[in-house]
Amino acid sequence: MSRRIAIPAIAAAALLSITACGGGGSGDSGSSGGTVTLRYALWDEVQKPPIEQSIREFEKAHPTIKVQMELNNWNDYWSKLQTQLAGRSAPDVFWDHVSYFPKFSKEGVLTDLAPLIAQDKVDTSVYDPKLAEGWKVDGKVYGLPKDWDTIGLFYSAKALKDAGLTPADLDGLTWNPDDGGTFVKTLQKLTVDENGKRAGEPGFDPKKVKQYGLAMQAPTGQQDWWNFALQNGCKLQDRPWGRWTIDQPACVQAIQFVQDLRLKYHVAVPATVTNPPNGPSLDQVVGRGEAATAMDGSWMLRAFDTALPDGGFGVADLPAGPVGKGSVYNGLTEAIYAGTEHPKEAWELLKWLTSERHQRSVAQAGAVWPGITSLNGVFAEAWQAKGVDVSGFKKAAEGTTMGYPLTEAADTYNVKALDIFNQVWLGQLSAQDAAKRINDEANAAIK
Amino acid sequence: MRRLRDTAEAYALLAPSLFGFLLFLVAPIFGVAALSLFDWNLMGAPSFVGLDNYRELSADPEVWRAVLNTVYYVLLNIPAQTVLALLLALALNRRIRGGKVFRVAFVLPWMAMPVALGIIWSWVFDPRYGAVNQVLGMVGIDGPNWLTDPAWAMPVIASVNVWQYTGYTMLILLAGLQAIPHQLHEAAMIDGTSPAQRFFRVTLPLLRPSLSFVLVTNTIGSFQVFDTVFVMTQGGPGGATDVLNFHIYQQGFQLFRTGFASALAMVLFGLILLVTAAQLVYFRKRTVYDFS
Repeated sequence: MSRRIAIPAIAAAALLSITACGGGGSGDSGSSGGTVTLRYALWDEVQKPPIEQSIREFEKAHPTIKVQMELNNWNDYWSKLQTQLAGRSAPDVFWDHVSYFPKFSKEGVLTDLAPLIAQDKVDTSVYDPKLAEGWKVDGKVYGLPKDWDTIGLFYSAKALKDAGLTPADLDGLTWNPDDGGTFVKTLQKLTVDENGKRAGEPGFDPKKVKQYGLAMQAPTGQQDWWNFALQNGCKLQDRPWGRWTIDQPACVQAIQFVQDLRLKYHVAVPATVTNPPNGPSLDQVVGRGEAATAMDGSWMLRAFDTALPDGGFGVADLPAGPVGKGSVYNGLTEAIYAGTEHPKEAWELLKWLTSERHQRSVAQAGAVWPGITSLNGVFAEAWQAKGVDVSGFKKAAEGTTMGYPLTEAADTYNVKALDIFNQVWLGQLSAQDAAKRINDEANAAIK
Repeated sequence: MRRLRDTAEAYALLAPSLFGFLLFLVAPIFGVAALSLFDWNLMGAPSFVGLDNYRELSADPEVWRAVLNTVYYVLLNIPAQTVLALLLALALNRRIRGGKVFRVAFVLPWMAMPVALGIIWSWVFDPRYGAVNQVLGMVGIDGPNWLTDPAWAMPVIASVNVWQYTGYTMLILLAGLQAIPHQLHEAAMIDGTSPAQRFFRVTLPLLRPSLSFVLVTNTIGSFQVFDTVFVMTQGGPGGATDVLNFHIYQQGFQLFRTGFASALAMVLFGLILLVTAAQLVYFRKRTVYDFS
């Protein structure tokens, strides 16, 4: 009896290994009774509510179009979207990210918006040129700007007060790879063990820390070591579209510094808590008092406001490194799938999503800095009204910035970085070995 | 003539399932085997690369890590699940009040969706708000960060699956126990054997058909663990739960290296084939099917 069962079971083994895990598209976009249903894919839960509200407005203005939002977290989003693209059942309109843009534009899965822009005389000069330019290839336009973001140092007002610090004490901090500089000194003051001893004080027990000075979490590096890399003179690539160079000393030092913050100085929340994809998001970590500050992106403002309401948090600049200040700067676009069955309706939706009206309401809700330059003030004022000064993000955007690497190897880098940097933060792998491994693998993936 | 008709009839009856078997089981296996010789990103045209994928995977430390992780998982999962199921089956084999209720209760987890269970168990094992650490906290133990600590992630995954599949294994072993004729135990008792002797000399040998069935099928299932890993850890932290099937998914559907993923699937297939063959050889020699 066992034999008869076993053979088909083994046969199933190989098959299931490959087929059981495909995340297919539902492909249920379509039209019925003159109504068209568009699928709109996005990855940020925090932004979804204000966007959804605005989309209801859009549906009211366009009674024959229904919009179905498809939310997946960052990791699942890309594997799902690409599987759907391969299966020709991608969402009609979706968020696009610069790290996947090279691949998508090459594979021809994005609709060229240039003729549509010309036909409807859409004024694209309202967008920050820094945002819009990156999405044009040979006169073709593959997306219109949705937003932009930089990284800042979010802090808990209470934790700062308890340590006898003021927000001004977080200004002008510097770090270096040798002794950590004033940045580490300040974080030590914000790190407290169960007996009330602060890091650096005699008798401090690094194994029983109640509150850490800093929390970091970044699936790619955008919110943690890339910023230190920029401040340390590291270049992730030799040139845009070029080869990865993260095994260079300036980069390795930046990776080392993030590991040191955790394992040498004991001022950052251990990787066993924060490692993605299971670690709690940083607004949670700071919100429940496990860390005093967190390096995170401007898109997280609403989440911090929920975790630490009523002026419970503020935002300071990132520290400066050996070569100065700097932050990762990034922006997303709204894109249309080239294979959409409803190009006309998808264009209507995209026009709405990149319109002044939509981006104003999203900015008013404090979700993200808008792609339309003139609305930056709306976003800043929305936060000013809540007592949070967010101008640091804008200053960072105007200062030294680094964009996402432009590469065809984004998949490889993203998947490997998640796995390998987790091991570095845990202390299982050295910064140098990790950098070399990711560098080699990502370069090997460039055809 | 009659025989011929019988044969024709049998084949006619077999045809529908044979068709499905060929189309959905045999053909895809050959498909995967063929794909493993190509380099293909799912969108462009595949290019033939011969055995390159196999050469690459044999030198890939991550593949070896995935193999070891898979074996580690099977070793955590199978013994615990089988022993636990056997003990439960022995307990429920007596005529006790409410025995049927227990039987149903133990089988319930097996009928639930693994993905939904994974999400619920992720909450239960949440280091701050989860039930496990809350209970540990009551007795003064500071529970670990179960799913982000590389030492704990795999045992947690294994325990979730033990919990889910023990009931099913128990059910089959219970059926096996109930098929053992009463007289054999009675005869042994009259001969003055101890309960332990009766268990090891009578019960266990006669339970071998059921035991071999659950061991073979559960081991195959264990080698293919995917859903719990996908939902609870995504192969992390730092690759600690990156089992073969998850690695195949990652190569195939995150990195879109369909050929390489197919080659990995063939490795998993070979591994399962080997282990299953060894199990079958072992049990064939030692199993009695006829109790009369």
